[in-house]
Amino acid sequence: MKWAVPVSTCPIKGKPYCFHLDHAASLPYFLEKTTFKGRVFMTHATKAIYKLLLSDYVKVSKVSVEDMLYDEQDILRSMDKIEVIDFHQTLEVNGIRFWCYTAGHVLGAAMFMVDIAGVRVLYTGDYSREEDRHLRAAEIPQFCPDICIIESTYGVQLHQPRHVREKRFTDAIHSTISQGGRVLIPAYALGRAQELLLILDEYWSNHPDLHNVPIYYASPLAKRCMAVYQTYINSMNERISNQFANSNPFDFKHISPLKSIENFNDVGPSVVMASPGGLQSGLSRQLFDMWCSDKKNACVLPGYVVEGTLAKTIINEPKEVTSMNGLTAPLNMQVHYISFSAHADFAQTSTFLKELMPPNIILVHGEANEMGRLKQKLITQFADCNTKIISPKNCQSVEMYFNSEKMAKTIGRLAEKTPEVGETVSGLLVKKGFTYQIMAPDDLHVFSQLSTANVTQRITIPYTGAFGVIKHRLKQIYESVESLPDEESEVPAFRVHERVTVKHESEKHISLHWTSDPISDMVSDSIVALVLNISLEIPKVVVESEAIKTEEENGKKAEKVIHALLVSLFGDVKLGGNGNLVISVDGNVVHLDKQSGNVEGENEGLKERVRVAFQRIQNAVKPIPPSVS
Amino acid sequence: MGTSVQVTPLCGVYNENPLSYLVSIDGFNFLVDCGWNDHFDPSLLQPLARVASTVDAVLLSHPDTLHLGALPYAMKQLGLSAPVYSTEPVYRLGLLTMYDQYLSRKQVSEFDLFTLDDIDSAFQNVTRLTYSQNYHLFGKGEGIVIAPHVAGHLLGGTVWKITKDGEDVIYAVDFNHRKERLLNGTVLESFVRPAVLITDAYNALNNQPSRRQRDQEFLDVILKTLRGDGNVLLPVDTAGRVLELMLILEQYWTQHHLNYPIFFLTYVASSTIDYVKSFLEWMSDSIAKSFEHTRDNAFLLRHVSLLISKSELEKVPDGPKIVLASMASLEAGFSHDIFVEWATDAKNLVLFSERGQFATLARMLQADPPPKAVKVTMSKRVPLVGEELAAYEEEQERIKKEEALKASLSKEEEMKASRGSDNKLGDPMVIDTTTPPASSDVAVPHVGGHRDILIDGFVPPSTSVAPMFPFYENSSEWDDFGEVINPEDYAVKDEDMDQATMQVGDDLNGKLDEGSASLIFDTTPSKVISNELTVQVKCMLVYMDFEGRSDGRSIKSILSHVAPLKLVLVHGSAEATEHLKQHCLKHVCPHVYAPQIGETIDVTSDLCAYKVQLSEKLMSNVLFKKLGDYEVAWVDAEVGKTESGSLSLLPLSTPPPSHDTVFVGDIKMADFKQFLASKGIQVEFSGGALRCGEYVTLRKVGDASQKGGGAIIQQIVMEGPLCDEYYKIREYLYSQYYLL
Repeated sequence: MKWAVPVSTCPIKGKPYCFHLDHAASLPYFLEKTTFKGRVFMTHATKAIYKLLLSDYVKVSKVSVEDMLYDEQDILRSMDKIEVIDFHQTLEVNGIRFWCYTAGHVLGAAMFMVDIAGVRVLYTGDYSREEDRHLRAAEIPQFCPDICIIESTYGVQLHQPRHVREKRFTDAIHSTISQGGRVLIPAYALGRAQELLLILDEYWSNHPDLHNVPIYYASPLAKRCMAVYQTYINSMNERISNQFANSNPFDFKHISPLKSIENFNDVGPSVVMASPGGLQSGLSRQLFDMWCSDKKNACVLPGYVVEGTLAKTIINEPKEVTSMNGLTAPLNMQVHYISFSAHADFAQTSTFLKELMPPNIILVHGEANEMGRLKQKLITQFADCNTKIISPKNCQSVEMYFNSEKMAKTIGRLAEKTPEVGETVSGLLVKKGFTYQIMAPDDLHVFSQLSTANVTQRITIPYTGAFGVIKHRLKQIYESVESLPDEESEVPAFRVHERVTVKHESEKHISLHWTSDPISDMVSDSIVALVLNISLEIPKVVVESEAIKTEEENGKKAEKVIHALLVSLFGDVKLGGNGNLVISVDGNVVHLDKQSGNVEGENEGLKERVRVAFQRIQNAVKPIPPSVS
Repeated sequence: MGTSVQVTPLCGVYNENPLSYLVSIDGFNFLVDCGWNDHFDPSLLQPLARVASTVDAVLLSHPDTLHLGALPYAMKQLGLSAPVYSTEPVYRLGLLTMYDQYLSRKQVSEFDLFTLDDIDSAFQNVTRLTYSQNYHLFGKGEGIVIAPHVAGHLLGGTVWKITKDGEDVIYAVDFNHRKERLLNGTVLESFVRPAVLITDAYNALNNQPSRRQRDQEFLDVILKTLRGDGNVLLPVDTAGRVLELMLILEQYWTQHHLNYPIFFLTYVASSTIDYVKSFLEWMSDSIAKSFEHTRDNAFLLRHVSLLISKSELEKVPDGPKIVLASMASLEAGFSHDIFVEWATDAKNLVLFSERGQFATLARMLQADPPPKAVKVTMSKRVPLVGEELAAYEEEQERIKKEEALKASLSKEEEMKASRGSDNKLGDPMVIDTTTPPASSDVAVPHVGGHRDILIDGFVPPSTSVAPMFPFYENSSEWDDFGEVINPEDYAVKDEDMDQATMQVGDDLNGKLDEGSASLIFDTTPSKVISNELTVQVKCMLVYMDFEGRSDGRSIKSILSHVAPLKLVLVHGSAEATEHLKQHCLKHVCPHVYAPQIGETIDVTSDLCAYKVQLSEKLMSNVLFKKLGDYEVAWVDAEVGKTESGSLSLLPLSTPPPSHDTVFVGDIKMADFKQFLASKGIQVEFSGGALRCGEYVTLRKVGDASQKGGGAIIQQIVMEGPLCDEYYKIREYLYSQYYLL
């Protein structure tokens, strides 16, 4: 048996693992507007932020109502369908087990390990192997997956070490402020923003001279999400839990939220973190327009900047920029680009894969060229370990086949003795999920929630004739018709074919008792048919005439029939000595012993034909022995 | 053969003593729970002491004294050194519970069984797991998987599932199947047919009124007292059931806009709530949901004020109020003092939300009828003055001199032994180790904590002490919070410390509330004075069951649903244990054990089992039929060997032997009735049988009392005269089964 693992399609369940828009934004549409019937799992923190984030997205998106793929209501409904999973918690759906590991990247981000009948697939999603101020580094799973689906956002690039980046960041801000300038940090509301706030809050705590310089974060969304950050402390790293022992590190001491630009009193140096990160519009752009022409000010771009945004433009430090009201303004402020991106870089990816050594690697999420370079580099790195590296395009499905050895556990009565090679094992094979057990039917209820049943049937048939007649007739059909001892049942009774009991209940009725199974049902049907026939025959057939027929006569009759049938099959059938029959077909002669059924002769083919024919004729003519079932 | 399993109770069988059991699986010894009671009687731990050193792992199920109270003592004194496993809340709230116990005890007695440091170091090697996390043990326990599952009762409460070779041993005590405000119900019922189930009989004889009714009565009696200008005292545990009570009160106060003040008073009240706020993922679905939707943390308490010392309570203006104070047993802690003060006023109410531990003041007061007067011991820690102080100082000085002398002697020996070797003579940090506590034991945590850290960092030889130190007079400055320290003095070691030690330091110095901190750092010489007095109990005493444990009836139905192959009963009065044992023998399974303390019972399953590989050839011929979660098929196979030498099943080369037909399935008469009715057949129940159509009757025979579990083979009798209907109904009946 083989398992196909569809990769680029969503087989059983969607499992968003991180709350960024590029991961979860289609979920309400997917859940509410498509035929998707599966289940969705998220970590607690992801679910809490998912709702806030998407509601915010719906509110601020400028698309007309008709073009909206989903609305607030869809989001709320989707919330009820989303189930939560905690890190390391193992869940099982249709026998497929899965659990998740910390992924770093953002709060609540998870890497999912899916175990299908022993074949393990790890999906990293966005992950980071570097521990920062609040997040743990992505864990190295305990088990090696058979397939590792891994992000390739940063391809072969390398990040600066964290402390270098942090130093550049705080130095840039400190020097700007000490010159009396203002610092603008355009940042996406969630994820890195919280990390930067932690850095700033800590830096301020350590530098009392800065205490009079205010820090603001101007994002209503970030403010709303702060409660989530303040709550899911246990999803963060040791550092945070140690700080939590003193006070909640997300209760910032030097940072306050800023509702809008109207509430902002722009006097003297300050640090403002504002969204959006691309400076397209909104508060970060308003502040940028206000501050860009003063060379004392600075703008720190802390993360990935999207192509085509103003943020991307100013990285190249042009002389002039166009402000929102369409006028051009000189760009005098300093621009710093310090990437705090929490995606794995090449060093992290390659050590992660080296630790895991998965036999199959599938690269996803990355720009095509970068992914190509990464693939090449990984191929050289894993050149001598037979690793398969694939980078499928969108909608291209990857099929892989795994031979999984199916093991069953034989338990209970069946397993009292371990069998030797060549012996047979018969029993119920019970499959639950991907585990197999073999057991005796009587043990079924012990080892599973299934139970077995016996159905006893009792049917009464009107019959007024002599009871003996039925018995006699049945004897012609069944070899085993046993009278039952009288003391058990006070009425005359006998047992047919060791299965069905016939009782003479009264002058007018007989009854049949048996335990249901296909053969017993058949036997009982034949008895019923026979009884009904006798009832019909009674007026005209003289019962005694049949009753007096001797055994001998029966035997003779049977022999005649056998002879006649053999003649019809083989033509030339003569009586030989010792009650043997001599059958000759096309010059080949065989001798058939009627008693034993032995056939002797030269022609093997004919011998076999005669043997089979004789057996079948015997079966048809003689009463059915009880062993036949 | 199956996995060998032995259970040895160490404490808490045939009575309500703390829980502690030894479960040995193929020679790997689990200590499940390590409880103590509020009397802290070391004699209870005798059986544990005998086996402590052989324990390979400790599993904790609930964060209260009864389940983990003995951990610090056992680690310190009994040689228990195994790794401990628990959920995050059990770890954290358990730690706080022990702090509270220690501080309450210390306030009224020369408590010396363990110190705050012992608590810290005991909890230091706790591995925290999440619910349903399959944790694979390694080393000696290779092949064993442990997993905590939701138990209800207390936050983080755990039903432990220990699995080896596909056989489950489940330890489920104090579970609660009912969903509450704070917690979801247990998932115990989702486990079916485990090899061994260890459970308690604590509540086997109790039955509870409906939750709604109980809640209403609870609030009614409280409000009546408050409106009558009385105070309400709820003696509670430190961080367990009190959370549920607070939620009930909060909710009711919000709904009805009440403004009677509510106080939560333990030595660790504010840190308890701080931590609880971050445990949302361990709470009930409704709490999680409300947080997702409104970001309202259920433990942002609006009506409950958190207090950590009694003086704060005394500052509160007079008037009716509710105080939730630890300990629930009234043996120590704030609840004890408040009880003594309030008991004499008939207007007041003392409301017990749980049964008091055996032989405690709370238990005495819960007797029916309640005693008119009780004798209590009021103890107080007072600073030493006058002659006593002088005597004490003299004594200290003498001890120090002796120590210094001893130290210098041993130092000389040491010097002789390792002449010339650098033994950190000049290291000023080392000298510290000889600094004796400036006063009684109360001061130990401060200095001791410091010492611990040093030892963690670089272990100096125990004999390496400097002869010239220490100073005798403590000349440091003092303020409300204790000694004024210069943080810089401690800054150096921070850098050298690894994370683990840092945590201990933080736990100790950081999170403790100011009040308790003042107690810890309070190094003024002090002593405990006690006086016995008789308190006239005039106040109203009420007991209501807010224990959050499943009641007798539910326990029985859960047990028969889980239907373990073997059942071990622990923890519960002799009467309850015997009652439940008899019940289970009749209705659950034939193997029910209720061992005595120290008695080892062998619950190795007498199951035979062997593993075979299913060959592909065989499997391609097997047709499964689906039945709920299961798929079943009949197989006839020949045994062969694989290349690796294990057994494998191959298809038979000869025609398969015949076998008796098996009807697989379970029909419920009521469901079948519906089914027949939908097929247009007249059906009705009459005299225990199902009459179908005019003549045919169906009845189920056999042991009808056997509930759930499906422990027997169903017997169905179908009777009727020969007619078309008979065969039609038979056809329908067969359609409910799978014939194999």
